Amino acid sequence: MRKYTIIGPILLILIWDVASQLQLVDKFFLPDPFTVIKKLVELIGSGAILGDLIFTLERVVLSFFIALAIGLPLGLFLGGSEKIYRSVEFIIDFFRSTPATALFPLFLLVFGITDKSKIAVAAFAAMLIIIFNTAYGVMHAKKSRILAAQIMGATKVQIFRWILFWESLPQTFIGLRSAISLSLVIIVVTEMFIGTTSGLGRKIIDSQITYEIPAMYATILMTGIVGYLLNLLFLEAEKRFLHWCRE
Amino acid sequence: MNAFISVQNLKKSFNNTEVFRDFSIDVEQGKITAIFGPNGSGKSTLLNILSGITTKDGGQFEIENFNHFGFSYIFQNYRESLLPWRTNFENVALPLEIQKKSKQEIKKKVEELQKLFEFKFDWENYPYELSGGQQQILAFMRALVTSPKVLFIDEPFSALDYENNLRLREHLQKYYLKYTPTILLITHNIEEAVHLAEKIVVFSQRPTKVLEVIENPLSYPRTVQSLKAEQFHQVKDKVLSAFQKVTNL
Repeated sequence: MRKYTIIGPILLILIWDVASQLQLVDKFFLPDPFTVIKKLVELIGSGAILGDLIFTLERVVLSFFIALAIGLPLGLFLGGSEKIYRSVEFIIDFFRSTPATALFPLFLLVFGITDKSKIAVAAFAAMLIIIFNTAYGVMHAKKSRILAAQIMGATKVQIFRWILFWESLPQTFIGLRSAISLSLVIIVVTEMFIGTTSGLGRKIIDSQITYEIPAMYATILMTGIVGYLLNLLFLEAEKRFLHWCRE
Repeated sequence: MNAFISVQNLKKSFNNTEVFRDFSIDVEQGKITAIFGPNGSGKSTLLNILSGITTKDGGQFEIENFNHFGFSYIFQNYRESLLPWRTNFENVALPLEIQKKSKQEIKKKVEELQKLFEFKFDWENYPYELSGGQQQILAFMRALVTSPKVLFIDEPFSALDYENNLRLREHLQKYYLKYTPTILLITHNIEEAVHLAEKIVVFSQRPTKVLEVIENPLSYPRTVQSLKAEQFHQVKDKVLSAFQKVTNL
């Protein structure tokens, strides 16, 4: 079935090409795909885009790891007791439902117009997703296995370490995958605002302002590829690590 | 009689369904006692109450010197009690890890048991790669690896084909003769009950009472040959007659 995945990108480029050949959109605003791809290759070849790519990736990875370091233990802890989770559920759900970008001005006030505020807002949003998923994974663990361990005389800590943690992993991984995607979205959006001179988001806005339309599309394409690859990376890790969830 | 497990005037209802009303039973130490009874007569409920999974509504029960480390319970849904993220070996080792035994000790214990079972597991594989019957044997080994003094078994052989069923009965007897634990066995199969147990307790319909206790004097180990013996059939007939009375068949 793997070979069918190649059809998607081909189809996309085909539709794009037809649209631009038929002049459905002004050629100035939508160059044909080959011009854009050529531009992307050129930007990568000359290294012009690599700096921005690295900056963006750095911010995404950093915010993800901060979210992981706080969110995972907190999620495990909150999920361990349904009473505790229900008591803070509103806070988590409220901020999870608030668009993180709406909070960006607030983070700017707290962290200043620096990289810190971008990383903090992305980490904050990603953390909520990790907490939510991990806690749910723990809460919805199969009772039969916990019961079996209790009967063997396992302590709470042992049950947590050997059973609950593992039971929660499939759901946790879903959280991690959503978290890294959201992290990328927020980082790219915040890069478009004040206080940055680097990053893919900045590059997109700069190209747009200076009407370097092929460069804009090339950078958008780059962002999409990064997002796709990050998702793929997590799916692969999931497959390898959660061997018992494979069908 | 040396009552090792004793239950007096036990009461238990689920939503308005009375399962036990003044239910009493004594179980002897170091014997295999089979519980045989109609559906819904609270066989599993009794084991669950005794092991502390389910709460009672009234009455008393006691298991002498009860200790989780010397107690094992093989569930009916054994499949859901194995841990798929652990290898077969790690699954069998789990109760010993819980008891904080050393690695060498665990290895020794598992090897000892494997010899008794004459069953070759690929220890580095995972339970989901095993057939249902093999998973059941794995669950058995996990329960026996701690050499429990008290063993509860709920419908243990239902997933097995007849051949493996007979083999597992043979292994269980070997284990029993070596360690003489007190075993409470729930089964829906008369042949299984008579093959393994020294006493067969027949339950009535709800609210459940002990209708009859049938002694089985056949000596251990009981082989497949024992299944053909005259005496075996006599005991089996007695159990069946008691069951007939319960179910009006």
